[in-house]
Amino acid sequence: MSADTALWYASRATGVVCLLLMTVVVLLGVLVTRQGRLPGLPRFAVTGLHRNLSLLAVLFLVVHVVTAILDPFVTIGWVATVVPLASPYRPVWIGLGAVALDLMAALVLTSLARARIGRRAWRAVHWLAYALWPLSLAHSLGSSGDLRSGPLLWLSAACAAAVAAALSVRLLAAAQAVPPAGRAAAELARHEAAARRPVTLAPRGPVARQEDLLARRQSVLGGEEASPGRHALAASTGVAREAGR
Amino acid sequence: MTVTSPAGATPGLAARPPGPALPRLLPPGGRPGGLAGHLAALGPLPYRGGPGRLIADVAESGLTGRGGAAFPVARKLAAVAAGRRPVVVGNGAESEPLSGKDAALLRAAPHLVLDGLQLAAEAVGARRAILAVHPGGYAGGTLTGALAQRQAAGLDRVPVELAEATDGFLAGQETALVSALNGGLGRPAFTPPRVSDRGVGGHPTLVQNVETLCHLALIARYGAAWFRSVGTGTEPGSMLATVWQADGRAAVTEAALGTPLGQLLDLRGPVQAVLVGGYHGTWLPAGQAAGLALSNASLHPAGAAAGAGVLAALPAGRCGLAETARVARYLALASSGQCGPCLNGLPRIAAGLAELAGTRPRPTVIHDLERWSGLTSGRGACHHPDGTVRFVRSALVTFAAETAAHAAGRCSAPGAAPFLLVPAEQTPAPGGRR
Repeated sequence: MSADTALWYASRATGVVCLLLMTVVVLLGVLVTRQGRLPGLPRFAVTGLHRNLSLLAVLFLVVHVVTAILDPFVTIGWVATVVPLASPYRPVWIGLGAVALDLMAALVLTSLARARIGRRAWRAVHWLAYALWPLSLAHSLGSSGDLRSGPLLWLSAACAAAVAAALSVRLLAAAQAVPPAGRAAAELARHEAAARRPVTLAPRGPVARQEDLLARRQSVLGGEEASPGRHALAASTGVAREAGR
Repeated sequence: MTVTSPAGATPGLAARPPGPALPRLLPPGGRPGGLAGHLAALGPLPYRGGPGRLIADVAESGLTGRGGAAFPVARKLAAVAAGRRPVVVGNGAESEPLSGKDAALLRAAPHLVLDGLQLAAEAVGARRAILAVHPGGYAGGTLTGALAQRQAAGLDRVPVELAEATDGFLAGQETALVSALNGGLGRPAFTPPRVSDRGVGGHPTLVQNVETLCHLALIARYGAAWFRSVGTGTEPGSMLATVWQADGRAAVTEAALGTPLGQLLDLRGPVQAVLVGGYHGTWLPAGQAAGLALSNASLHPAGAAAGAGVLAALPAGRCGLAETARVARYLALASSGQCGPCLNGLPRIAAGLAELAGTRPRPTVIHDLERWSGLTSGRGACHHPDGTVRFVRSALVTFAAETAAHAAGRCSAPGAAPFLLVPAEQTPAPGGRR
């Protein structure tokens, strides 16, 4: 293995590792929500894992890009690493990688400045992560023939399948989620169903009685329909006059 | 600022307080004549000519918030007055089902509420004032008419916006109300930030119960000494109470702090227990309640609080456990579903209480209820879990005999019609996610 092929191998290897890391990061981001947890891990640990793996992916991405430029096997040029379509070699596929690199830079910068720019702006930019991953995959498949056959093809297919599965799980869960206003009712129904004894004094009055109660409140509130004599506002005037001293 | 005498020689005070000491807020038979009648009876609206000037009077009066928390009003005023571009909110949301006093005030004395809103706005230097009322519109007609009269008379210095609070038990909670006014979901929020730092539109916001505003308007007119002329030394003044008698009659009545509960409630009849402070309140045996007074000094040792002045007597021949279970179910459903202790605790407690109120509950249920109560209270964004647990725990103590009867398979009032008012169940609003 000469110096030249070492660069070539380094570039390919870091690229593949970077894709793997990004896949895991996307999986963590998709699956771990406010309610969802990973078994055995508290949420802050999952968030920390997500963050550290992302930074590791950035590191591998830098090595991947630098070695690819230095590799004399193909001519790409420094400009093409950030400007799409500027590469003489496979402009479209290398361009996709350039876009992915730009997105990655945006994600890192906004995450570093999250306290300054506010959570809402950070979150808006962070949605770009969902574009970053397919761009990277397409770049990997298109830039060279290595991933289009053999074990590496299986690897990229497995990555794609994992992300697709995670996305469908998340979307399905979101579709079935109970809105906050209905959560207490769902919980109550669950516990009432779980009580072994029949709840004979079920706390629900007959409808007619309920209306009677509402009418009583209305009379307290002084509505027009208040029956004379029960209208309360004027009823008790000097109750505490003598008692208050 | 000097202490003003009730005789009122100090500039800015009306010459003489009208009539007897009580009632102050709700005159018998209402006050005819609209705005003119109101001003003729109580005197002109005593603006002080600048922010901060009323606060010393309010501090001197010892007025506390009448929405339930009894927080010193002067401290709240001072905190909000120190902020930039403050907002004043009159809280008439009155989401406690047993309370009717805010609605009664808005209907019978709208100008007194609006006077208080203007004076509070001046005291903190607010340019924006909002009056939030219970949804359903029973106050709206009176209020729009009253506002139009005041506008025609050029009385209001700050324009008043009318707003309807959301429905539900937690709608009147300070942070929930501000959230709704900001176009949010109307759910309680974690503090800090307090609404006095960041409230409506992000500005420092004074939220005061409408009854508190009425007392404020009278203190501005007649002075602190007049306000303190009823009530106790530590808890001066009067408060409105919504009183539910054992025979089903209900009334909004004004009482001095320190009034014996026996003068407000008819406890001589067949009354078994008294609920003090509404659905976040405390059940007390009727005998114990008869020895207590409407003040926190008297009620706190008994584990109760005056709150927003709701008193309800439960007649004999009803099952206190069944009543409590119905209300606990309503309270569990009222959870906004955002904090774990409330969402996981209250439905469990409600289901357990329903089992306890039924026949032959498992013997473990009462221990479970105690355990869940301990795990649920003292946590969450608002006091909903705390208040609910206080209510449930007091029921387990007060209705201990009933609990024993149920364990033996008996109920003292099987199939009795519900006594306490529980609003009809509501289906959750669609699109609740954000």
